[in-house]
Amino acid sequence: MAESARTEYQEELNNLEASGLGGLDLVSAALSRTLEAVEHQDIELAQIVVADDDRIDGRYLEVHQSLITLLATQSPVATDLRLISALLHVLKNVERMGDQCVNICKVIPITGNEPPADEEMVSLILAMGAQTRTLISQAKRAFAERDVEMARDLVRQDDVVDDLNRECFRLALAIGDDADKREWAMTMMLAARAIERIGDNAVDIGEQVAFVVTGLFREFEDASHPTA
Amino acid sequence: MLGAAGTKRTAAEAGQVETTGGAVTGTSSGVAELPIGRGAKTIEARNVSLYYGDFQAVEDVTMKIEPNKVTALIGSSGCGKTTFLRALNRMHELTPGATVEGEIRLDGEDVYGAGVDPVQVRRLVGMVFQSPNPFPTMSIYENVAAGLNLNAGRMKKTEKDGVVERSLRGANLWEEVKDRLDKPGSGLSGGQQQRLCIARAIAVEPEVLLMDEPCSALDPVATLAIEDLIRELKDRYTIAIVTHNMQQAARASDLTAFFNLEKTGRPGRLVEIGPTETIFTKPEQQATEDYVSGRFG
Repeated sequence: MAESARTEYQEELNNLEASGLGGLDLVSAALSRTLEAVEHQDIELAQIVVADDDRIDGRYLEVHQSLITLLATQSPVATDLRLISALLHVLKNVERMGDQCVNICKVIPITGNEPPADEEMVSLILAMGAQTRTLISQAKRAFAERDVEMARDLVRQDDVVDDLNRECFRLALAIGDDADKREWAMTMMLAARAIERIGDNAVDIGEQVAFVVTGLFREFEDASHPTA
Repeated sequence: MLGAAGTKRTAAEAGQVETTGGAVTGTSSGVAELPIGRGAKTIEARNVSLYYGDFQAVEDVTMKIEPNKVTALIGSSGCGKTTFLRALNRMHELTPGATVEGEIRLDGEDVYGAGVDPVQVRRLVGMVFQSPNPFPTMSIYENVAAGLNLNAGRMKKTEKDGVVERSLRGANLWEEVKDRLDKPGSGLSGGQQQRLCIARAIAVEPEVLLMDEPCSALDPVATLAIEDLIRELKDRYTIAIVTHNMQQAARASDLTAFFNLEKTGRPGRLVEIGPTETIFTKPEQQATEDYVSGRFG
């Protein structure tokens, strides 16, 4: 029997996985710039992030199309089929994470060129962002190494982001009566919410890792049926 | 008792099958009702080993082929799947020097038991082969009736007409050939010839249908027509199909059994049997995964 048949197909699938997961690096870079734009109220940088989202969308389209072609021409089954199914999900997550960075960058110009109104709140947003970047890189590594335990740990890491998000909310409520400051705090709440969603997308990628490995899809946490 | 399972049935039995027969009803007027199939049966192989002289082709296979389901047997060439299939209706022993160890039971009855007539076994467990093989000098009608002549020699012409029509309908061929039943079967297309062979197989009212790569000589359209037919036939029969076409196994079967051999010259073994969906999404054995993914074989 000929061992290691279908090498070209296997190589193509490996490349598509690398390319799809590479989308997470693009997201991580976009998030770093987004945080910098928030920290310095840098409208130009925010606009660059918005424009650059085309690269993430382009990656989505390119890998998605190639995966569909593999499905149509190579009849993948078993682990290959689960991997392709998972990658299609991951691509959607990557695309959504990119869009959340765009959402943040689109609200930055609303409050003009004034420096951030509250240092503590900016610190919280930056901490959320840093933690979310950790989630993104951990999700990528868990997928590449098919490490279900590492994937499950994303839930714990995401709890940190959620706690910071709630802290942001409390700060915004107590921000005071100044109208400009309140408006800025509102935009920061939107930013915090967007970062929190990026974290959720990272957890979703972790669930796809478990699917690839076990063949069973289970949400790590069910928002509509939370455990105590 | 298998050997005593004759061709005569009571009216009550006939009526009972008639109500569940579906596609076999609605025949020409004045034809005696002879329902096709009397209920699919389970085939169970226990520790089956098969030999050609000194050469062991299959080693220690234990598996169940369930009624009203399609079981696909897959595996690379030489893994023993066809040999195993042929042992199920005692065709294996037709090869000189071929022997069988272990048990094969049809609804509990040992098909290799003392006193069991192999011809009777082959009537209850029909076989459709790789290449369509209608009898070349016989008409379409005679091809379908060939098995009846062997098994029920004194059947009246009107009864035979009914069985031929029902069998051709059962094989989704009636509408295409009803106006040329007296023409040679060899004049049909490949796909039609294979359906003619299926009609011939079901004319003698088997309980199990074995198919050995029934579509390997057919074009994709004829292949899909046979697969549709297989899906219909499973309502009435137990079906086992050997196929090299992985996608066919995925499309047409409910259960898939993967056979493999360690290396050339070694006997084939059953590696894994399970729901087709499981075999093609999350098989238990790495060897199965490698085979269905096309990484070897």
